[in-house]
Amino acid sequence: MSDALLSAAGIHKSYAMGRTVLHVLRGCDISVRSGEFVAIMGKSGSGKSTLLHILGALDVPQQGQVHFAGEEVFAPPRLRSIRTNALDILSSTERRRIRFRRRLFGFVFQFYHLLPELSVLENVLLTRMVGTPTLAWFGARARAREDALAMINRVGLGERTRHRPNELSGGERQRVAIARALIHKPRILFADEPTGNLDAEAGAALMGLLKSLHDEGQTIVMVTHDAGVAHQADRIVRLEAGQLRQV
Amino acid sequence: MYKLFLTLRYLRKRRIAYFAIAAVMLCTAMVLIVSSVMGGFLDQLKLKARGLLGDIIVDNGIASGFPLYEEFIAEISTWPEIEKATPLIYSYGILRFGESPRLNTVRVVGLRLEDVYVVNAFKESLYYETYYPGTTTLSPQQQPLLGFDPELSPAAQSDPTFRLPVLPEPYRSALETSRTQGIVDEAVPSSLSQEFAAEGAGPIPGVYDVNWNIESGPTLEGEPFPGLIVGRDMIAARKPDGRYERYESYPRGCRMTVTLVPISRSGSIDLPIKQPFRLTDDSRTGIYEIDSQHVYCDFSLLQKLLEMDAAEQIDVESGEVIGTTPPRCSQIQIKLTPGADAYAIAERLEEHYHSYMADPRYRLDLNDVQLVQFVEAKTWEQSQEHIIAPVEKERILVTILFGIISLVAAVLVLCILYMIVLQKTRDIGIVKAIGGSSGGVAAIFLLYGAAVGLVGSIIGAIGGYYFVTYINAIQELLIWLNPAWRVWDRSVYSFDAIPNTVNMLDVIQVVVFAILASTFGALLAAWRAGAMQPVEAMRYE
Repeated sequence: MSDALLSAAGIHKSYAMGRTVLHVLRGCDISVRSGEFVAIMGKSGSGKSTLLHILGALDVPQQGQVHFAGEEVFAPPRLRSIRTNALDILSSTERRRIRFRRRLFGFVFQFYHLLPELSVLENVLLTRMVGTPTLAWFGARARAREDALAMINRVGLGERTRHRPNELSGGERQRVAIARALIHKPRILFADEPTGNLDAEAGAALMGLLKSLHDEGQTIVMVTHDAGVAHQADRIVRLEAGQLRQV
Repeated sequence: MYKLFLTLRYLRKRRIAYFAIAAVMLCTAMVLIVSSVMGGFLDQLKLKARGLLGDIIVDNGIASGFPLYEEFIAEISTWPEIEKATPLIYSYGILRFGESPRLNTVRVVGLRLEDVYVVNAFKESLYYETYYPGTTTLSPQQQPLLGFDPELSPAAQSDPTFRLPVLPEPYRSALETSRTQGIVDEAVPSSLSQEFAAEGAGPIPGVYDVNWNIESGPTLEGEPFPGLIVGRDMIAARKPDGRYERYESYPRGCRMTVTLVPISRSGSIDLPIKQPFRLTDDSRTGIYEIDSQHVYCDFSLLQKLLEMDAAEQIDVESGEVIGTTPPRCSQIQIKLTPGADAYAIAERLEEHYHSYMADPRYRLDLNDVQLVQFVEAKTWEQSQEHIIAPVEKERILVTILFGIISLVAAVLVLCILYMIVLQKTRDIGIVKAIGGSSGGVAAIFLLYGAAVGLVGSIIGAIGGYYFVTYINAIQELLIWLNPAWRVWDRSVYSFDAIPNTVNMLDVIQVVVFAILASTFGALLAAWRAGAMQPVEAMRYE
């Protein structure tokens, strides 16, 4: 496990549903090596997206630890008592998670999650903007734009840079989302049901794109409930009853 | 960078923000208009008071006036800080216009014209002195009659009978002098002189000589009477554009009669006295109460008419002359040399005057001592403090009240931004998912509030500026639509026009306040946006 790029141990997550508590994750352990393509499978509602969000520092577990390249993604358990969202603004945990998301992680979501007011190019550039201080941006802008155009060309949307998300098909939107996720050259790409909202043809094309990215050395952790999609990964783990099982 | 980028994008794309901008704009314009009009009113008040009073005013507030003014003026004129001092008399009278039944109660001011020209800005208020320089005098004078130029006007070549009006000397030369200097009369020509004005003669007001003889030229007629300067609103009609049209029945040199009531130094009132005058000029200070009520005549004449001049003092029992009562005036206006400390000098002047009570040179009787002991010397600001201070307070109060009302804009910004945050919850989640910090996301909405404030306040400031600048034209338009919509009554607010100047410092203050208020209004929305967790935000429906 020492050569793991990303590792998680004893992840617990539960949600309060009225008076009952729904235990989604009950001690999940997972390890992803650099350059590996891992698929997490499970039924709808099994908690695979929750696990992905925790691995990607978008969400916090109630118990457990996540490490990335040997560095702790979450703060020690004593800070788990800080439940107030507002306090997170100031917490070091929040700052650390932001740094991972901004520099090292990339995300692709089932519903694309593009900003509707921005064009394809602007959506992709936004990731670079977020990671660049205001003054530095004026020096980095031209280079970022070149990189963004190259990435958009890479996903096959070179002719659509000025279009807005509502002028694109589902498959095209997901390609934009991939370009946005990769523009800052993340160490690991998290994909949450990337084909879940696409037809078979668009889904196959998108998987081809992910596969080629993986072939170029991109580490990918993908969540899917589709066995056909999952089988294109190097390794499949299944989430059942809140725990992961190697397939 | 993404904060500024998204702020500007949301500002452009979220049309609901236009309502917030409109609210900020209206509030900014409202505060600026109120502040400017009130501030302008105050500034005019100070300016006019300053222009009519001189730097220091010495008086005792008693209608009988006070003695020893000549001695006082002679002594202080040697002080290096004193440039000029002149006595004035204030009284009340009834003005009759010619032989007409029209009577006006007026405040009669006796002054030394040449001295007053130096001490304050009275000269600039005179009409004829501006366009016929050197012809305004308070000494006895006849009425000038208008004749016709024997030479044909170039514009009237086609009509051999057409001749432009000309005045007798020295009025004719004075008019030519002012026109040579480029001083153009912008008064509205009376109906009689409109035709001539159109031919380039200008609005020469006057009465035509019915017995005009081309050989003898224009003449003067009538018995000489002392000159009287009359407040312009009594002898001319103000037009909507601010210019005046003189009534043809009150030409220069026409006869007017003032009935005065003398008041003795002991306070007893004598029989009324009638004094005929000739209208020599009209004055427009810009303060309606003065221009509709004040007439000005020669100081010595008024002093004599009111029995305030030197008189023999007779022993009641023996009937013998036992001395002379000193002449009196109502006020002394003083102009200081540049840089002089008006407050310090006012104190010195007052002490100096009071020293006369015990001065063995003058041996004042009880009546005169009482008149002298109430003499006060005040700077023009101190003398007008009873008017200026309440207006100043009123201005601050009204500005604060409207500022509080403007907080409505901040609440509206809060509501609209909160709605936008709710609408953009998923976007907030996305921005956070790609590395946006809580502070950064909060900053987007704070910047958004500031941008709403900036855009709204700048538009409001421009709108307010033009509204204030054209406020009098707007009022005239309202009056034209419905006379009952007059909002600025000259007789109530003293000045004949609504103040229409905008202080740039006020603009800056109002704009900064609007931006701060809008940013403050965005705080809650920014806090909520910053506190959202990315996963929850992206799941938001």
